[in-house]
Amino acid sequence: MSAGPARAEPVAPRAGDPQAARGFRRALRATLGRSYPRIIGSNRDKSWLFYDTVLPLLGTVSFVYVYKTFGAPERFLAYVIMGGATTAFWMNVMWSMAAQFYWDKQAGNLELYMVAPCGLLPILLGMSLGGLVATTLRAVVIVAAGSLLFGVSYAGGQIPALLLVFAVAMVALYGLGITFASVFLMWGREAWHMANTFMEPVFLLSGFYFPVRALGFWVGLGASLIPLTLALDAMRRLLFPGAHPALLPLAAEVGILAALAVGFAIAAWVSLRKMEMLARREARLSLRF
Amino acid sequence: MPAVGDVVERGAPARIGRLRRWTRTLRVAWWLGWQVESNWTDPLRFFTYAVARPLGGALILYFMYRVVAGVGRGAAVGFFVIGAAFWPLVVGGMFGMVLGVIGDREHWRTLRYIYTAPISWRAYLIGRALAQQTSSLAAVPITLVFGIFVLQIPISPGTVRPALLTAALALGIVSAIAMGTLVVSAALSISGEAWRMPEAIGAALYLLCGVIFPVQVLPGALRTASEAFPFTWWLEAVRRALLGPGGVRSFPAIGDGAVLARLALLAAAWSVAAILVFGFAERRARRLGILDRESAF
Repeated sequence: MSAGPARAEPVAPRAGDPQAARGFRRALRATLGRSYPRIIGSNRDKSWLFYDTVLPLLGTVSFVYVYKTFGAPERFLAYVIMGGATTAFWMNVMWSMAAQFYWDKQAGNLELYMVAPCGLLPILLGMSLGGLVATTLRAVVIVAAGSLLFGVSYAGGQIPALLLVFAVAMVALYGLGITFASVFLMWGREAWHMANTFMEPVFLLSGFYFPVRALGFWVGLGASLIPLTLALDAMRRLLFPGAHPALLPLAAEVGILAALAVGFAIAAWVSLRKMEMLARREARLSLRF
Repeated sequence: MPAVGDVVERGAPARIGRLRRWTRTLRVAWWLGWQVESNWTDPLRFFTYAVARPLGGALILYFMYRVVAGVGRGAAVGFFVIGAAFWPLVVGGMFGMVLGVIGDREHWRTLRYIYTAPISWRAYLIGRALAQQTSSLAAVPITLVFGIFVLQIPISPGTVRPALLTAALALGIVSAIAMGTLVVSAALSISGEAWRMPEAIGAALYLLCGVIFPVQVLPGALRTASEAFPFTWWLEAVRRALLGPGGVRSFPAIGDGAVLARLALLAAAWSVAAILVFGFAERRARRLGILDRESAF
C-alpha cells in the first residue's frame, strides 16, 4: 500500500504563504471540531456525573479508609484524594487517547479520519483538548467531594505555582497520550489489554496514593518519565509545604516536567508519522479484531 | 480442545441428557472465553498481563502501609496481599459474564446467533465467567508467593487450612457468578452505559466488601450493607484459611464456622435471587425486542 496523499500539517503559517495559512486554519478547525464532542457532547448525557465522578470517588474512598485504618495524618487522606483525581487523567489518556483509535476502528471512524484532509495530528490534539477540559471538570468535582467528605484542607498560598505545575504536566501527559495513540494504532485486541495493564503498575510507580519517595530515589526518578509522578509530587509539596517528603527540589521538578512536555511533543509527532506509515504498509488500519 | 461441532452432535440431542448438554456448553463456552481472553498475545506477555495488576495493587497497599507505619512488615500486609490477590476472581467472574453478553452483543455482534443456538445460554454465560476467573486465578499463587517471600507475609504450612480454603473458594466462585448474573440482568435492559456498569458495581463492592481494609472501619450503615454481600465473608474466610489466627480480621468476634455458614447462606440467597432476576430480565428483553439491541458504542 502506498503512503497515501500528502497531508496538511498543523504548522504555524509563514508570512505571505497563503497555502500554509489555509493548512493551519484547517488543522485548527479540525482540532476544535474533534474536541467538541468531548467537551459539549459528553456533558449532554448526565450519566457522566455518576460514571466519571462517583465511580473514581468510590475507589478513592476505599484507599482513604486504608489510611484511616492506620490512623494516618490528614495529609495522607489528601494524597489519596489527589491521586484519585489524577486517576481520572490517566484513565482519560489511556482509554480515550491511547486506545481511542482502537474504538474508532470498531466504529468505523478511523477510516474517516484517515481520508480527512487534516491528518491525524489535529484529530489527536482535539481529543487531547476535549479530554483535558472534560477531565479537569471531573477531577475538580472528585477533589471537592472527597475533601468535603473527609474534611481535608489544603494550604492555598501557592496557587499560581500549582497551576503552572498542572499546566506543564498536562502538556507532557497528553503528549505521552498522543505517542501512545500512535503505537496503539498498530494494535487490534492488544490495545484493550495493554491499556488495562497500564493501570495499577502506573498507580504504583507514580505514587498516586503515597509519596513517590517511598519507592526510593532512583526508582522515583525512573518513574518520573510518567509526567504524573513529578506533577503529583510537586503539587503535594505546594499544598502541604514542609510536611511532604518531596523527591526533588520544586524547580528541578518543574524543569523536568517542561523537558518531558517538549520531549513527548516531539516524540508524539515523530511516532505518529512513523506508526501511521507502518500501519498503512502492514494494513493494520482496518484490523478490528 | 473441543470442536464447535461438539456443542450439539447431529442426530444426537435426543440421546444426550440435559445435564450433559449443559456441561458440554459450559466447557465450550469456557474454552471460547479463554481464547478471547488469552490468544491476543504470546504466553509470556499474557502472564505478565495477568499478574501485573494484582501485584501492582498489593504493592500500592504495601507502600501505603510503609509510609505510615515506618516498617514494611506486619499483619496488615497479609490482609492487603490476600485482598489484592483474590479480588480479581470476583471481578473476573462478573466481567466475564457481562462481556459474554455485552461483548457478543456490541463488539462481536454474535449474540443473536448464540442465543438462538440449541444450547443453554445460562451455561454459556457461566462458562464465559469461569474462563475469566481462570485467568484471574493464575495470578493468585504468584501474588501470594511474592507476598510470602518479598513482603514476608505470615503464611506458612502451619497457618493454612486447606478445607476452609477450598470451601471458601468454591462458595466465592458461586457468589461471583451470582453477582455476574445479576449484573448481566441489568445489562440486558440498558445499552449505552452497559460497558461501564460492571466497573461501577465492582468499585462499589471494592469499597463495601473489605477488600483492602477491615469493614469495621466503615461507618455504621455501610458496615451493615457490607455484611449483606457474600464477598465480605468470602474474603474473611480466605484470610482466616491462609493467615491463621494471627491475621487482621474484619469480624474478630465471629468464629470460623459462623463465617463459613454466613458465606454459604449468602451465596445461596444471591444465587436464587440471580436466577429469578435473570429469568425476569431475559423475558422482558425478549418481549421488548431489546435482547440484541446495539448502542453503536
